[in-house]
Amino acid sequence: MLSFRDARTDRFATIDTVSDVDQSPDADAPITVASRKPRARKPAAARQKPKEVALSIRGLVKRFDSRIAVAGIDLEVPAGTLYGIVGPNGAGKTTTLSMVTGLLKPDAGSVAVHGTDVWTDPVAAKRKFGVLPDQLRLFDRLTGGQLLYYSGVLRGLDKDSVRTRSADLAAAFGLEDSLDRLVADYSAGMCKKIAIAAAMIHSPRLLVLDEPFESVDPVSTANIIEILKRYAAAGGTVVLSSHTMNLIERVCDSVAIIVNGSVLAQGQMSDVRAGSTLEARFVELAGGRRAAEGLEWLHKFSD
Amino acid sequence: MVAQILRLKLDLLANSFRSTPWQVVGLVLALLYGIGTAVFVTASLIALRFADIEVSRPVVIVFGSLVLVVFALLPLAAGADDILDPRRFSLYGISNNVLAAGIGVASLLSVPAVVITVIATAQIATWGSDPRAVSFAVLAAVLIIVTCLLSARISTTLATFLLSTRRSRVISAVVGIVMLIALSPFISLLTRVNWEQDGIAVLTRMADVVGWTPFGAVWAAPADAAAGLQSSAIAKLAIAILWVLALFAVWRILLATALVTPGRRVQTKKYLGLGWFDRLPRTPIGAIAARSITYWTRDARYITSLAIIPVIPVLMIVAFMIAGLPLQSLALLPVPVMCLFLSWSVHNDVSFDNTAIWLHLASSTTGRQDRWGRILPVLFLGMPLVLGGSFISAALYGDWMALPSLIGVSAAILLAGLGLSSVMSASFPYPAVRPGDSPFSQPQAGGSSAGLVQGISFFGILLLAGPAIAAAALGFMYGDIWHVVSLGLGVAIGVGSLVLGVRIGAIAYDRHSADLLAAALKN
Repeated sequence: MLSFRDARTDRFATIDTVSDVDQSPDADAPITVASRKPRARKPAAARQKPKEVALSIRGLVKRFDSRIAVAGIDLEVPAGTLYGIVGPNGAGKTTTLSMVTGLLKPDAGSVAVHGTDVWTDPVAAKRKFGVLPDQLRLFDRLTGGQLLYYSGVLRGLDKDSVRTRSADLAAAFGLEDSLDRLVADYSAGMCKKIAIAAAMIHSPRLLVLDEPFESVDPVSTANIIEILKRYAAAGGTVVLSSHTMNLIERVCDSVAIIVNGSVLAQGQMSDVRAGSTLEARFVELAGGRRAAEGLEWLHKFSD
Repeated sequence: MVAQILRLKLDLLANSFRSTPWQVVGLVLALLYGIGTAVFVTASLIALRFADIEVSRPVVIVFGSLVLVVFALLPLAAGADDILDPRRFSLYGISNNVLAAGIGVASLLSVPAVVITVIATAQIATWGSDPRAVSFAVLAAVLIIVTCLLSARISTTLATFLLSTRRSRVISAVVGIVMLIALSPFISLLTRVNWEQDGIAVLTRMADVVGWTPFGAVWAAPADAAAGLQSSAIAKLAIAILWVLALFAVWRILLATALVTPGRRVQTKKYLGLGWFDRLPRTPIGAIAARSITYWTRDARYITSLAIIPVIPVLMIVAFMIAGLPLQSLALLPVPVMCLFLSWSVHNDVSFDNTAIWLHLASSTTGRQDRWGRILPVLFLGMPLVLGGSFISAALYGDWMALPSLIGVSAAILLAGLGLSSVMSASFPYPAVRPGDSPFSQPQAGGSSAGLVQGISFFGILLLAGPAIAAAALGFMYGDIWHVVSLGLGVAIGVGSLVLGVRIGAIAYDRHSADLLAAALKN
C-alpha cells in the first residue's frame, strides 16, 4: 500500500504494491551479498511470509514556537530494508529523526522500534537502535579508540567484545591508523565514519543515520554502503536521510519524500520514482524548480 | 575603502546593541567602566598640572607606561576574537596599504581607543603650563594614541594567529595563569614599600629606567622637557617615534602574512591505548569517570579551572596580608577554599559536554551512572587534598588540635559541594564555553539564569557546610572539644549531602534528559 500526495494539486492517488524484503539466511557469507544486485527482488508469491515492522511512526508532530517543523508524519519501515528519507533543506528530516531516536520530545504522536515505544519504554527501545545524529558534537577530546570503547561500554558491552568490535569496525571503515588520534583532529569525513562505527558497535536491529554521507569521500561512501547493505541483508534495518538523490536512489529499497514537515510520497523506490528518476520526482513534488531568470548581469563579466 | 571599513566597524558596533539583553548590558558596563577610567585618569592628570614636577614626572611616566603595557598585553590574555581580522578581507582584493590604514583607523572606534584618546589629550593639560613642554606634549599625545592602537592591533592579530589552534589555547590559558602567579610576589613586594615616606623616591627611580623604554619614552619626553632636561626629552621623543615606525612595520608585515596564511596547522599527537578507560572498571560509571578524567587533563576549560583553583588561595592570602591579618591564621585558609572551588567547578558540568551529551541519551545512560561518573574523579582528586592538605595546614598553623576542624570543614565543603553541583548541573544547566573555544571567552549564548545558578551553587555550599564551619569557629574560641564536633558534623553533613544530592540529581537527570540536549542546542 502506497500513497502519494501531489504537492500542488493536493490530489491523492493510491497504488497497491506487494513489497517484500530480502531476509537473506546467508548473512555471514560476505561476498554473496555484496555481489548481488542492489534491488533484486524474488517473485512476490514465493515470499509471502509476514514481514516484521522495524520502525513505526504515527502522527508525529513538533512545533518550535509558532513554526511547525513536523506536521503529522506517519511512516512504516519494514525490517531488513534500507529506507531513505529525502527532503529539501529545512524540511524536518533531522527533527523527525531526532524524535525517532528519543533525542527530541515530540509534541504529539508515537514511535515504536520493533514494537517497543521509544517514549514510554525508552530503555528497552534505545537498546534496539544505533544513532548517527546530524550536527551534534562528539566527545572529541577522546581518541577514536576511546570514543568507540565509550559508546560500547555505555551500551553495556563487555570489555573483550568492545575491543574486538572496535578493531573490526576500524578495519571496516579504514580508521585503523586513526584510532590513537583525538577525534577533534579528525576531518569531517572521518568524524562521520567514527560516529557511524560507534552507532553500530552494540549490533542494534535498527540504524538511524542522519546525513551519513555528507562530506565523506566517494571511496568511503562506497565502503559504508557495502557495510550497510550486508547489514540489511542479515535482517538489520537502516533509515538514512540525505539530499543526494541519486545516491539514495541507488542504495535504498524504499524512500519517503518529506517537504515542509509532511510526507509527500513514500513506498518502494520504483513506485515513488514512477518511471522517472528520484531526483526529477523529488523536484516535481517539492514544488518545481525556480526559473533562473534575472541574472543577466552575471553573464557580462566585470573585468 | 578606508571609509568603507570604518563604516563596517560602525555597523558592527551598532549591531552589538541589537543582540541579547545581557550582551547589551555587558557592552553598557564596558562603556561605563571605560568612561569612569577616562574621567578618573583625566582628573588625576589635570590635578598633576598643579603638583610639583618632582611628583608629576615620575607618576605620569610610571603609570603611563603601565597603560601602554596593558594595551599591548590585554588582547593576548583575553584571546580576543578579532572582528576586524585581516584574514576576513583576504578575498576582496584590497591592497595591503589600504587595508592596514583602514583597519587601523577603524580600530579608533572602540571603547579602549576612546579612553586612550581622552587620556592622551589630558596629558597635554598636565604639561600645558610649561611653554618648553607644550609642543612635546602635543606630539606625545598623537604618539600615545598611535602606539596604543598599533600595539593592540599587533597583539590582537598575533592572538588570532597563534592561538587559533586548540592546543595553543591550552598553552595560553596556562601562560596567563603563570603570569598571574608570577605577579603576586611582585605585588606583595610593592605592598612592603612605605608609600607615604619613600613613594616618590621609588617612583622616581622606576621612572628613570622606564622612561628610556619604548613604553615610557613617549610619556617621559614632555615630562623631561618640563623638568628642563631638553636633550633627554628630544632623545626620548626620538625613541617614541622610532617605536611607532617599528610597530607600523611589524603591523604591515603581520597583515601581509595573515592575508596569505589560512589558519595554522598543527602536528596531531598520538595517544596510545585507551588511557584511563583501561584503568577503570568496565561499567558505565567507570567509563563516564574515565571520560571525565580524560577531559580534566585534555580540555583547556577543565585544565584552566584546575590551574586557577590553587591560585585563588594565594591571591586571597596576599590580599589578607595587605589587610594586615597574621600569616599564622591564614594557613587555615587554602584547603577549604580549594575544596570550595573544586566542588563548585562541576556545577555546570553537563553544559561543558555541549551537544555531545546525546550519546548518553541515545544509550539510555541512567542519571545515577551519569552523576557518579562525573563526581568520582573530583572526589578522588579532592579526598587526598582534604587529608594531606589539612595535615600541612595544621602543621603550618602550629596547633594539631586544628586538624579535626580542618578535615571536618574541608570534607563538608567538598562532599556537600559535589552533592549540590550534581543537583544543579542536571536541573539548571546554563550556557558554558563551548568545547574548543578559549576558556576565557564569553559563552556565545547569553542566559539570565547563569548568575543566579552560579550564586546559588556557590553560597549553597557554604550554607550546607555552615554547621561544621560554626563548630570549627567555636573550637578556636572555646576549646578543643568543638574541633572534634566539627569533624563529626562535617563528615556527616558531607556524606549525607553527597548521597542525597546525587540521588536528587539522578532523578532530575532521568526526568529532564531530553531537555538537557535541548538546552545544549541553544548554547
